[in-house]
Amino acid sequence: MAEPTSIAMAQGSSCWGCFQSLIDIHLNLATVLPMLDIKYWQCVADFKLKDLEGYPDKSITVGLYEGVARTEEDIHLLKTMREKCEILIAFGSCSCFGGIPCLANFSTLEECLDVKFRNNKTVKDGEVPTENLPKIAPVVVPNSTIVDFEIYLPGCPPTSKLILTALTALLTGKEIELAPHTVCHYCDRERKETPLTEILRPFEGIADPDRCLLEQGYICVGSATWGLCEGQCVNHGATCRGCFGPPPPITTDQGAAAISMFGSMAPLEPEYLAEKVLDPLGCFWRFTYPTSHLGGIRIKREEAKTK
Amino acid sequence: MTTVEKTEVQTKKEWEPQIVAFCCNWCSYAGADLAGTSRIQYPPNARIIRVNCTGRISPEFILASLEMGADGVLISGCHPGDCHYSSGNLKLRARLAIMKMALEQAGVHPDRVRLQWASASEAQIFADGVTTIVEQVKALGPLRSEWK
Repeated sequence: MAEPTSIAMAQGSSCWGCFQSLIDIHLNLATVLPMLDIKYWQCVADFKLKDLEGYPDKSITVGLYEGVARTEEDIHLLKTMREKCEILIAFGSCSCFGGIPCLANFSTLEECLDVKFRNNKTVKDGEVPTENLPKIAPVVVPNSTIVDFEIYLPGCPPTSKLILTALTALLTGKEIELAPHTVCHYCDRERKETPLTEILRPFEGIADPDRCLLEQGYICVGSATWGLCEGQCVNHGATCRGCFGPPPPITTDQGAAAISMFGSMAPLEPEYLAEKVLDPLGCFWRFTYPTSHLGGIRIKREEAKTK
Repeated sequence: MTTVEKTEVQTKKEWEPQIVAFCCNWCSYAGADLAGTSRIQYPPNARIIRVNCTGRISPEFILASLEMGADGVLISGCHPGDCHYSSGNLKLRARLAIMKMALEQAGVHPDRVRLQWASASEAQIFADGVTTIVEQVKALGPLRSEWK
């Protein structure tokens, strides 16, 4: 058996879902774990940040970074990971595109603090905590603007199968081969090429289980989303929300592509659309807002305020 | 010289908005041509880009223009029902309706994007459309002013 590969796994502002998905490879852990020499993993192994800082530069072969860098501590952790790791992987959609935590960019930092601390419904006379806490960045920027990554592994979370494929390829020194198809490629539903006549919310009506959800009027962004999930949601009756981000090249604007597709299939009256599509920004850019054009404009504006 | 420096020089003189105008090959592009040959006067701020049909315009074109420094975007196409490809303009109209809402949510004034219908013979409507968007955008100020 070959020498185990050194690995560091770090978590920024996120939900731990991606690492949970890694643990969910179940019995395959028995195959993967002996190949790994864990150098840092906040919640699992007892290493502290100073241990990570103490390793020589580029001494760790693989690094996984989950989540965004919202606080100054996150930013420091991300930069340290870059220094210490040879191959740094953006692990999960948050790390690749911003994901759910970056929906905070819809509001200003003050508005976020109001909702979370000052006017929190479950707290009386709430105030923003300051003691022993890292400072919060005024706006969330995509991780890729802070450091460079070698590999992007999107998904919310990346499926266990995808993680297993990627990790085994990486550990055995092979190239990671991922199919570039969108979710529609894996969707078993039938498309009849008919234009939409109405827009439905997910709770309205009963969907035909065999027909394209978008054609039935349910907003599905599968056509603009990388199908590494192999169409899990659409084949189980739920619309695609776009959690795997745009297909390769993954730098394209997923929301813009989704609206383009949606407009082609639904040439409806603007007034009707304005009434029915209630939250276009959250609907089409849910996982990729900071890396999109609109998100870029927003970040520049918020950063300008603090200068 | 980078674009940022360019804009700075311009603000020192008198700021003129930069408008990107997407024109349909079959109507508005010919309309713009007619406006020129008829010597109709309209502001020179619009940079016209010819597309085969307004249905070809992805929201990405508009958003990329705005992010890269355009202050406004004008889209000029065939009247509904007159599209050379039967329904391209209706597809764009639907995209734009959603996109304008998204723009507003992201804090960009939706008046920075204007959709108008102008056929090949309607040179005056095209010229008026350019005047309108230039006035609208002038009232809003440079998009980049909020970034500096």
